[in-house]
Amino acid sequence: MLSLFRITEVSAHCDLPCGVYDPAQARIEAESVKMICQKVADNDDPDFRVRATIIKEQRSELVKHHLWVLWTDYFKPPHFEKYPNLHVLFNEATKLAGASGTKGEFDVSVADELLAKIEEISTIFWETKNA
Amino acid sequence: MIPLPALVRVRGRSMLPTYRDGDVLLVVRGVRPRPGRAAVVRLPPDSSGRSRPLSVKRVTGPDPDAAGRWWVDSDNAAEGVTSSDVGSLDECDILAVVAGLVWRPLG
Repeated sequence: MLSLFRITEVSAHCDLPCGVYDPAQARIEAESVKMICQKVADNDDPDFRVRATIIKEQRSELVKHHLWVLWTDYFKPPHFEKYPNLHVLFNEATKLAGASGTKGEFDVSVADELLAKIEEISTIFWETKNA
Repeated sequence: MIPLPALVRVRGRSMLPTYRDGDVLLVVRGVRPRPGRAAVVRLPPDSSGRSRPLSVKRVTGPDPDAAGRWWVDSDNAAEGVTSSDVGSLDECDILAVVAGLVWRPLG
């Protein structure tokens, strides 16, 4: 198959899914976001607040990343048929982690809403896993 | 087996910065794997049993726990299946050793 007269394609791709998925990744980052919001509420040190802001934005971005991986890589068309609200759930959850949500605010209640959405996704996830 | 040259084209980014998508490499079959050299390898099937395509990897060294087996890695730490994922490879799965870059697409 390897020859000097024909160029064989050899893969240097990463996209060989490992098949390991768990909504806990998104939840842990969201819990981190919530904790940062709580800590900032009790701390007036400007340096601390700047660091908290940066870390909270990074963690919020990670929440979105992990949710998107579940959305695009784990869930398949039959799942979306069975759970018609799944697309909306992901849309709402990633919005809650975005600039209009935990990324842009220090509101613990928004972080709680985000955690609740992740929990809803997680419930569906484990139902499909155990199906 | 006598050494036989062959040509392969790289697809993907897991060997960056050494080899880019589209690079054509001259490889040699029938020679022993050499630590530090890139090679064309056959990877074991994935967890669902689907076969993986022929791949280009860096042979990092002999498996200390199994004679005749080799550890492989990607040059791009952020991408690519490595021996950390699939374990060491049998020497018969190291199909060819990369001799060098023959041609690189412009741009």
